[in-house]
Amino acid sequence: MANPIPLRDRKHTLELDRWLKNQAKAVKSPLNIAITLGSVNGFFLIAQCWLLAHVLNATAIEHQPIMAVWPYLAGIVGVFLVRAILNYGNQRFTFEAAARLRTDLRAKLFNHIHHLGPAWSREQRSGARATELVDGVEELEKYFSLYLPQKQLAIIIPVAILVFVFPFDWVSGLILAITAPLLPIFMIIIGSQTEKLNRQQWRSLTRMGAHFFDMIEGLTTLKLFNAAQKEARFIGQIAEDYRLQTMKVLRIAFLSSMVLEFFAAISIAMVAVYVGFRLMYGDIHYLNGIFVLLLAPEFYLPLRSMGTQFHARMDALGAIEPIIELLNTQAPTEHNGKLELCLQQAPNITLSNLVFAYPKRDPVLCGVNLTLPAGSRTAIIGVSGAGKSTLGQLLLGFLNPTQGDIMVDETPLAHIAPSSWYQHVSWLPQNPTLFHGTIEENIALSPRLEGHEAALKQAAENAHALDFINRLPQGFQTIVGDRGQGLSGGEIQRIALARAFYKDAPVVLLDEPSASLDPHSEQLITAAIARLAVGRTLLTIAHRLTTIEQSDQIVVLDSGKIIEQGSHDALMALNGAYTERYNQYRKAGL
Amino acid sequence: MKRKRNNRELRWLINISRPYLGWMMAGVFLATTVILANVALLSVSGWFITAMAISGLTGAAINYFTPAAAIRGLAILRTAGRYLERLITHEATFRLLAGLRQWFFEKLEPLAPARLQYYQGGDLLSRIRADIDSLENAYLRLFTPSLAALLASILMVIFLLFWNPAIALTNLVGLLIVGIALPWAALHLGANSGQRIVEARSVLRQRVSETVRGLAEITLYGDSQQRIDSIQQENKELVAPQRQQNRINASSTSLNGLFSQLTWLAMIVIAIPLVQSGQLDGPELVMLAFFGMASFEAVTTLPAAFLALGETRSAARRILDLVDAEPAVSDPIEPCAAPEQFDIQFDAVCFRYPQNTQPALQEVSFRLKQGEKLAIQGASGSGKTSLTQLLLKFWAADSGQISIGEANLENLTGDTVRKLCSVVSQQVHLFNTTLAANLYLAKPNATHDELVEACRAAAILDDILTLPEGFDTEVGEAATRLSGGQIRRIGIARALLKDAPIVILDEPTEGLDAATEQQVTQALARLLQGRTAIIITHRPQLLTLADHRLMMDNGRIMS
Repeated sequence: MANPIPLRDRKHTLELDRWLKNQAKAVKSPLNIAITLGSVNGFFLIAQCWLLAHVLNATAIEHQPIMAVWPYLAGIVGVFLVRAILNYGNQRFTFEAAARLRTDLRAKLFNHIHHLGPAWSREQRSGARATELVDGVEELEKYFSLYLPQKQLAIIIPVAILVFVFPFDWVSGLILAITAPLLPIFMIIIGSQTEKLNRQQWRSLTRMGAHFFDMIEGLTTLKLFNAAQKEARFIGQIAEDYRLQTMKVLRIAFLSSMVLEFFAAISIAMVAVYVGFRLMYGDIHYLNGIFVLLLAPEFYLPLRSMGTQFHARMDALGAIEPIIELLNTQAPTEHNGKLELCLQQAPNITLSNLVFAYPKRDPVLCGVNLTLPAGSRTAIIGVSGAGKSTLGQLLLGFLNPTQGDIMVDETPLAHIAPSSWYQHVSWLPQNPTLFHGTIEENIALSPRLEGHEAALKQAAENAHALDFINRLPQGFQTIVGDRGQGLSGGEIQRIALARAFYKDAPVVLLDEPSASLDPHSEQLITAAIARLAVGRTLLTIAHRLTTIEQSDQIVVLDSGKIIEQGSHDALMALNGAYTERYNQYRKAGL
Repeated sequence: MKRKRNNRELRWLINISRPYLGWMMAGVFLATTVILANVALLSVSGWFITAMAISGLTGAAINYFTPAAAIRGLAILRTAGRYLERLITHEATFRLLAGLRQWFFEKLEPLAPARLQYYQGGDLLSRIRADIDSLENAYLRLFTPSLAALLASILMVIFLLFWNPAIALTNLVGLLIVGIALPWAALHLGANSGQRIVEARSVLRQRVSETVRGLAEITLYGDSQQRIDSIQQENKELVAPQRQQNRINASSTSLNGLFSQLTWLAMIVIAIPLVQSGQLDGPELVMLAFFGMASFEAVTTLPAAFLALGETRSAARRILDLVDAEPAVSDPIEPCAAPEQFDIQFDAVCFRYPQNTQPALQEVSFRLKQGEKLAIQGASGSGKTSLTQLLLKFWAADSGQISIGEANLENLTGDTVRKLCSVVSQQVHLFNTTLAANLYLAKPNATHDELVEACRAAAILDDILTLPEGFDTEVGEAATRLSGGQIRRIGIARALLKDAPIVILDEPTEGLDAATEQQVTQALARLLQGRTAIIITHRPQLLTLADHRLMMDNGRIMS
């Protein structure tokens, strides 16, 4: 997503348009009702002009008293009322259609994000995603509520008016009929230019969003380097560029609507002047003349507002592109497993000849064979880049092995339904995410269990988190932010541990959980992990001597291969890579 | 009280538009011209064809050149005026908004990190962009149309007074209903939902952002369905106030149309007897009818504008609430020059975070000579980090004194203090740009050789050079493409480039494996050479770099 897609041609635009129209099929009936109401409104408008023409003819030309035109006046008031109601209904129906579409699209996007899964989300800029899902989808509102129905009305109403104008005055009818097609033609010519610029603008809006997000998150760093003021100017510069780009789009958009309005205004002026002269020569009747003059502005109105709705379309096209792109993104891993796993106790996990490579890259893991005996603790050590994290991702089921199998007892992991496997694994990442919400919600992310209160307390206690949670002013109900503001690193880790205790899954993967801590927190966490390990199959991506020494089995990974494997004593006896590493750790005082 | 706060936002909006007043006034003038040109175009047309018809019927002579030319001229004036008006008002608005973004960031800067720690990243993002964008409404859809409507209405009513006071009065009443009464009602009804829309959007945005970031945890611990449901729920909470707005909008446009139509019909009804009594002639009747119809163009945009006010105001309020927060530390009015000598002294320093009951530091005193290195140990929450936050002037001590060399910290600006200090912590923030740009941050005018040298000393050069694009490699979000040790060493390279006399290390080797830690420690040793340093750590390896040690517990120095 980092690179904006190069702008494509008109064909691509039409594809986007088609995609949007396909979406609209889901809300056909409210949209059709709205269009019908709009068309009926158009017919009442013609009736209104006809009644008014009679009133003006009777009073201004024939000098009849007001008594003579009362029936017409009453009729006009009636038309006013009906039109007001039709107008209201039209707007309500288009809104509901658009609202339903936006809701559906959000749901679709969200389901897709879940389908893409954690292996995909690791690579994303969350700021840009948020803009696309919230603001991008909002941009579609006007496309469905204004542009689509207006597009139909822009044909129906002018045609209906023409049908009425011709019998009354064919010359004016001709003027209208000739000028009308010029409007859409100009609209298309100028519109396609604006469209290109507009897509560019949307991209730059997304980029700007990600940039601000980043700058604000790193504001403290900027301050430490006395660079905040410079960045402020830079932000000003970006915003200024954004303004220039926006104005570039708008200048053309305004020019296009000026051309439209110019044609409309000149045509109305022409109708007025020609009708005037032919009235003077007595070629037509005044009633016909004034009726045509009243209708002329109404003839161009739908076409002109079409010009404004055109922008709604372009905004939507710009916004939809990254959305379609996201929906078309293939999940990095396809899960085909269907089996429901049902473990009574901690399983044996066997990795046989495990190979993993990202497409078109060198393998990260090449032929790993390893058994994690049920209920035992295994530690993996190795330098960064040795393949530890990838091994973890494979075990979690976020990635599928390129070759080889992971067996859970006797069942291949590939055959197990992902959701079922996820229920059996806990994971403690290096940097746990806290979600905006209470501490209780953060520990019990899953649906509440029977006896939730007691389980929550127990999990917090097991994770040595209960003390500090109770010290917080609102206890378990304290609201924490998405980066755990207000909590220390050790406290965030312990909440993550409490999650694992609360979940009570038989398989646990730890990714250096006791890192970044002071000795006191570390002691608490080491004790908590020891408790967590009981009766579970545990794999630790380890960096600390205490963790390593406490493990039943130690695996040394190097460049995607296991180079040594065994208990601490056995490996020390080998006097190989492990011993060397162990001594390093010792020296480092870990 | 509430009224006063409402005024605060409007006053602020007007205040910040002052530099662009000329632009805005030009916009108002053009908008008025457009309205009047349109009214004149239709009125003259109506008068013209009726007069022509009567001349055709009676054979009376008529000067048709002037009105025919006027009709064409007005058509052109209307179109060109509209184009210029839109260009000018948009230009003014976007200039204003561009400046506003920078202003907001500058206002935010003194508040970081102390006052911002309770705002979420995603929420701030929504503030800075969407809120500022929605201010667009204030000028484009509110101020300019209102002023133009007022000006045009006054001129139109004065014009009508020349013909007949009753007709003028009717038009005035109609304009007041459509222009003021209806918008006011819409504003009143829409204020609440407008605010709810802005808030619901921000909640939704935040939820999406944390979900993408924490997708792994949700997949394993949570119930994805529950998340999807909660996003659906939040979507509903956004649509509900929007539906409310739509109802108000739809009613107001319908009523708007109805009242303007009834008004011009009433104007015709008043005028018809005047034709009978000979006070008006036929063409004048038709002219007034068309005039009445066209006059409402002046005010038809207002209901929507007033409705937008609710949204705009709540955006303005959020912006003001945030930037009006008092910074945790204010700079001295007459700051001292930067000290030449870098002894660090804490003298009976006490400090408590405003939202906590427990003090973070109690009577902390120590003295560190220039060039010496002090290690501070202690459990999490013992006050180690608070101590460095005070030294960096991110917070101010409640009592006691901190000094660098001869200068009391109170007499130095935050910028001066921070220029003297380099910080390497366990959380190194890398910006989402190239590695080179992240390094240049520390010394914008550094040469490439200096960059390479700093990276070599920080033992990161080889790692960078093995990347396909070297220094030009883009850093992904949360720096996913780099390992923890690499990020730490880039932080050290930055500190080396900054070349400040005081170094603060805040657990810089935490979370690293032994081999990496050794590399990082060696790099740090090079960084500390000849500099005064405070080292927060409990790593034995790092402790060997220190001359003195200090143990803290519960905000006190134990030994």
